[in-house]
Amino acid sequence: MQVTPMNVEVKGKSSSADKADGETIIEVRGIRKVYAVNQTALTVFDGLSYKIGRGSFLSIIGPSGCGKSTLLKLISGLETPSGGEVFFNGRRIDGPPKGMIYVFQQYTKSIFPWRTVLQNIRFGLDSQKSLPAREAHEKCMEYVKLVGLQGYENYYPYQLSGGMQQRVVIARALICEPDVLLMDEPFSAVDAMTRAILQELILKIWSTLPITVLFVTHDVDEAVFLSNRIVSLGRAPATVREDVAIDLAYPRDQIRTRGEERFNGFRQRLFSSIFLQEKEGIPNA
Amino acid sequence: MAKRWPGFLLIALLLLAWEVASLNKWIDPVTFPPVSKIATSWWPAVAGGEIMRQMLPSLWRIFAGFALAVVVAIPLGLVMGTVPIIYRLLEPITEFVRPIPSSAYIPVAILVLGIGNEMKIFVVFLACLFPILLNTYGGVRGVDPVLIDTGRTFGISRLKALRQIILPAALPSIMTGMRISLGIALIVAVVAEMIAGSSGIGYYILDMQRIFRVPEMFAGIFTLGVLGFLINFCFLKVEGHFLKWRGTSVET
Repeated sequence: MQVTPMNVEVKGKSSSADKADGETIIEVRGIRKVYAVNQTALTVFDGLSYKIGRGSFLSIIGPSGCGKSTLLKLISGLETPSGGEVFFNGRRIDGPPKGMIYVFQQYTKSIFPWRTVLQNIRFGLDSQKSLPAREAHEKCMEYVKLVGLQGYENYYPYQLSGGMQQRVVIARALICEPDVLLMDEPFSAVDAMTRAILQELILKIWSTLPITVLFVTHDVDEAVFLSNRIVSLGRAPATVREDVAIDLAYPRDQIRTRGEERFNGFRQRLFSSIFLQEKEGIPNA
Repeated sequence: MAKRWPGFLLIALLLLAWEVASLNKWIDPVTFPPVSKIATSWWPAVAGGEIMRQMLPSLWRIFAGFALAVVVAIPLGLVMGTVPIIYRLLEPITEFVRPIPSSAYIPVAILVLGIGNEMKIFVVFLACLFPILLNTYGGVRGVDPVLIDTGRTFGISRLKALRQIILPAALPSIMTGMRISLGIALIVAVVAEMIAGSSGIGYYILDMQRIFRVPEMFAGIFTLGVLGFLINFCFLKVEGHFLKWRGTSVET
């Protein structure tokens, strides 16, 4: 991955608010997605456009079933749009591109249970380049340490807790040195304390590596805590209802940041917007 | 192994009951000679090499047929599991041929291949083929889509995905198919030997029955029991080695 001086500069400003006004790394242009559900067409997107700035930590939130995960899948190239295009570094996406790694919500299904922690991470490295054995091992160990799993490198996934498995999956993605990390509700299946710790971990990683994070979550608090920008989608066919720069200072702290009045301001505003939509969607609610 | 002693104790008790019942003529001692008598005719047969001489051709047929089935069924199952058109082409014929007991093919096999080893290996091969094939393509088709997508997001080739993701993910299922096949291989080899030919443990059992050497007949049957047990035991060891990542408890 090329670390341009501009990248570094963007990172350097990380305490300031909106970093997403830099160069565009991903552009979604007039995207359409239609699914056939029980012989009726379900239109998830009908001409959605959006630009994502390099180096941003962008969260995508919205009412359930609005297509948050679908959007991420379309950007990743794992799914193909019914119309419109997605550009990554100026190139049209046609299948999963290099430089982008998708982290699945179901980490237990995405981790390779037949590989140890180290071998799982090694898979990521081997998928990108082949290094001499010794060098490869050292590099893998570096990422074992980055996610705090030293001492567990020879464990099999079944011997690890959910939070640790998710760390393995994240390390396996990061060792590819992707420009963009796509995370689909990555912490929704771990307990609250583990989630808080993993949130700090991902923030630490984002602020040290030149990386753009797209983060899908149903948890508004989590989105506000992590992101420097939040996109709130409406009900399907989804459009961008809100596009909010979260100008809270980094580094953020689980206790201090969440206690700030402005944190609550963002939270209230985004939460009520989604909550009202959720209620509209439920008859007799 | 340590926790299995009640089971082994039961076997010992049953043998003892047989012994006592036969000695007291509660059961016909000609048809069911005392276990001690079976043992005394078993030991010379084993030590004298007679059982071994009969066992070796049987073992060869079992493992040759089984190995052939593994070599054919696993690649075929992988292709059927990953290429939908091949699956749609071959699945119906598989489902049609599979329920026919493989012993029913023995008469045909004799016509085509004679009564020698080729026929027996072929019948064992055919019997072993389907459990492995079904469990291979079943396992492959059952691989979680998230695992497949994980391979795609890392940008690895389809061939690499087959080797590094699909094969290991389907391995537990493939191993199950292989274990089932090994059991069937033993059965079919013995049946084939009883129907035709002049060697093998199946032939030995039938031959001893025909000349009324009942203790030797039972010695052959018991030998099969021990053989089946040992084959399964060894296979479980192999399986445990390859699937050691499927632990059930958390080590700390």
